[in-house]
This record gives sequence, C-alpha cells and structure tokens, in this order.
Amino acid sequence: MKLSRYAPGRRPRVAVVLALVAASVTTPVLAHDPDPALSGGTFGQSQALEFRWRSGSEPPSAIRTAVLEAAGDSNATRASQAATFGYDSTSSNPIGYGSGTCGVNGLACFTRTVPTGFTMWFREHGRVFDWGTLRWCQMQSSPTNGCYDAETIALDEFGHVEVLNHHVNFADESDYTDAVVQTYSRTRPKTGWDMHVYGPCDTATLQIKYDLPTLSSLYSRCLGLVTVLTLSISDTSIPYAGLVDFTAYLKVATDTSYGRLSANPIGARTVRLQRRAIGSTTWANLVTLPPSSTAGTYPTSLRLYSTADFRAVFSTPSNEGVRGDTSPTVRITVAPCTANCPLEISAS
Amino acid sequence: MVLLRAVLASLAILAGACTTSSAAPAESPFAPSSPPVAAANSPSPSLATATVTVGPSAVPTHTVQPADGPSVARLSAEGGDPVTGQLGTYIWHDQGSDSPWLPGAPIAVGRGEPLTVRLAPATSVAAWQARIVPADTSGPTGATLLAKGSGTPRFDAPRHGAWTLEVHLVFGDAAGDASYFWRLDVR
Repeated sequence: MKLSRYAPGRRPRVAVVLALVAASVTTPVLAHDPDPALSGGTFGQSQALEFRWRSGSEPPSAIRTAVLEAAGDSNATRASQAATFGYDSTSSNPIGYGSGTCGVNGLACFTRTVPTGFTMWFREHGRVFDWGTLRWCQMQSSPTNGCYDAETIALDEFGHVEVLNHHVNFADESDYTDAVVQTYSRTRPKTGWDMHVYGPCDTATLQIKYDLPTLSSLYSRCLGLVTVLTLSISDTSIPYAGLVDFTAYLKVATDTSYGRLSANPIGARTVRLQRRAIGSTTWANLVTLPPSSTAGTYPTSLRLYSTADFRAVFSTPSNEGVRGDTSPTVRITVAPCTANCPLEISAS
Repeated sequence: MVLLRAVLASLAILAGACTTSSAAPAESPFAPSSPPVAAANSPSPSLATATVTVGPSAVPTHTVQPADGPSVARLSAEGGDPVTGQLGTYIWHDQGSDSPWLPGAPIAVGRGEPLTVRLAPATSVAAWQARIVPADTSGPTGATLLAKGSGTPRFDAPRHGAWTLEVHLVFGDAAGDASYFWRLDVR
C-alpha cells in the first residue's frame, strides 16, 4: 500500500512502502512519496519550541531576520499539529552562526533532542569551501546568482527539527518543489531556491507524525490515503411515505503506516447519497449529505415512496490526498400504498 | 626520514590544536543545548580522521568527518589505494548537516574496474545507491544511476571520462544516511 497518489502512468512509480515513513530512516532514492522521517521521535502536538541566538555566535541581522521569517513560515505552513517555533531570549535552544561546525562541507546543520530541545547553526557568509564560496543572498545588497536563500535553508532546518528527513526526488528532480527539505538545496535562480513554505511532501509527513490541525482540514496532496465510507439507515423496511434516517460516515482507513491519521473521521467533505430503482443498473444522485457537527458523519432524513437501493459516494477530491470510496449498498423496502395514494397515470 | 616524519607529525598535531582552538564556536550545535555545559564549549576529541579541520574562512577546507558523525567512506579499485570521499549532506541519529553537491575527492580508475566503498569505522549499510554526473556539474539533475543495493557498496567504474560520483548510504539500525563524493577520472 502506498501513500502517494500519483497514478502509475503519470509518474514513474516505485514501490516505496508506507512502512518506510513509519520507520525511522528510509530506504533511499526511489520514489515520490512523503519525506522520510527521522528517528528520535516527535515533539508534542503544537508544542511551542523557543530559540535564542547563540551567545558569542549571534547571526548578523540579515540572517536573524531570515531565521525568524523561516520560523514563521514553518508555523504558517505546517498544515498539521507539528511544533511551533518562536524567539525567546531565555530559551535553552541556541541558533548560531559562524565558522565552527556543521562538518566540513555543511552550510547549515541542526540537532534535535526530543522532547525539549534543538540547536541550529549557519556557516558564515564568504566562507571558502572545497565546493566554492558560501554566499547568503540576504547578506548581499544585490543578490547574485549562486547565493543561498537563508530563509529557505532555515526552513529546511526547522523541518529537520520537526522530524523530516530529506525528500526523495525523482531522478529528473521534476518534483523538487514538492518539498523544501532537500538533500541538495538549490541556489538562486534555480527553481525552488527561495521556497518559503513547506511543500506537500513535507506536510504529508508532518501530518502523519503530528495529525491534522482539525478533522476537517485538508490532507496533503502528497498522500493517497484510503478512505472508508459507510451508510447506516434507521430502518430497512418502512411503510409507504415513511421517513428514513440516513447517516454516512467517512473516515481514513485504519493503517498503522498512516500514523496519527489512521482512522481519522473526515469532516466537511462532499458526500452524496445515490439511489437506484429496483431492476435498474443506473445510480442517480439523490442528495448531497450535509456534514454534521460530529466529524465524519453526514446525516439526512428522507421520506420514501418506493423500494430502492441506496449508497453513499465520496469522490476522490482534486485538492487533497485522499481517495474516494463508495459505501456498500443498502436496500430499503417500502410497503405499497394503501390509502390516499397518488393517482397513477398510464400511457395509452 | 624517521626524523622528518616525526617533525611532520608534530606539526600536524600543533596545527590541529591551533585550528580547533581558534575556530571552534563558543558552543557547538552538535553539543547538548540544555543546559549548556563546559564540555559543550570544546570540540569533541574523537575526530575519526585527523587530517583536518576547520580552517580560517579564506582557506578551503578538506574532507574530514565531524565529531560523532557518519563513518568515513573510502573508495578503492582492486589493488588501489583507497581515497576518502567528501562527506556531503547527512543525517546521523538526531543531528544532521546540509551541504551542496560536492565536486568529490579525486581518484583515478580504469573503465569497468570494480569499485568498493568501505566505511571506517565499519557501519552496517541498509541500502546504497551510486550515481554520476559529468565532473564540474553543480547538482544531481540528470544523474546516471550506476548501481544500488544493500551491504557493502560494490559497482563498476563508468565509461571513460571525468565524473562526480555520489554514493548515498542509508545506515542500518535507523542511524541515518549520508552522501559521499569522489571525482572519478576514468581512463
């Protein structure tokens, strides 16, 4: 079973199983799917994580601004109950800048210590590496091609702190902008060099790990979650013109690889009730079931005049990563009319 | 000769001491963040390779792994001297570093020659992939997959030319993953 919803004919699908997301570190390189997840667990849902500038290694103003904006980007686009980030001068989580760390070739790095802490570091503008000279666009009065956008890189690091490992792109990288947490961040002016929002494959993993903001929120387009739609009725056999209560229930399928999304009720969607006359093979839309205040339930009451089959239908939406489903069919038998019946007009 | 080696070794130790003491940050981001402790102000003593380090900003640095990071990866052809790869982006347990696509450590090999990557210290590899781009390419776009598998990475050198080789390793026990780079001069 896959999380991804891309059709085989559209993208070169490969069998990356959901277990890879649930498991800590992924098997590499093979498909378009949610970002792999880091080992080490997650922070609390919507836990507020503060940071401060590292004493003695405080970033310059332009980098501080970029980091603060990236924290805001993370908070605004996490599409989940992932941790939030904010500045607090008394925090125990330092963010530094300068020459000292991130390995030999790194331009930025992080540590995460669930459940309380993290650190972050940015290498200094102008540093000469084997691979070239590091230039932060924010440190240039007129950004030049080849510079790194510090806000994008900081958002990448905040994503790591949350739980995200690097997205696995297609070989041609046509899906690069589906994630900001990348193994190789791009420089100006390549596509994606200045992403200031999480991509759908970032938020997919954040949703799996931290759950949706609300039960009516949209699921990331990088997911392809199976849903289960059921239809219950108050009675299967009623008198003529009797009233029947219909209740459709829509939820995410139960699957451990879906993490916190497993078995979630799905609210505020479009669920239709369809009717099929006895002897017919054609279904017709009868009514759109209104969502109730109880997430996942779509009730209505109808007065029926003839026996028929009914089912509920949730069509695959185009704006989120869940698959449509159709409920099992239920038949409601309506007794013949015995009094005050409408006239039957027969063709002659 | 022995004397010369001793002098060079002493210089190397002295240089390492100077660079680490002058270039280390006040606190390492790879050190525990809360509460700050004295040990966090010092670089780790356990660099797996002693070749080098953080230099002044105006001087290119050389390949070495960070303290408590992924293993060093060495690429060798049959019978040839191993060459340590440049460590790029990696995740190692609860820390990680993001690097650009790297040019790679130079190594000359023969066309079709069997190549092997060995890790020091030895680390289990759950999965690996080797891919190449023409040397001096700045990213993986259009890379050619050489091989992939699990366990010790073994694959054949590509056709004649100059290439940047990236070997991406996923370590066992959910320890993380890392990319290593070599510049292949295939004769």
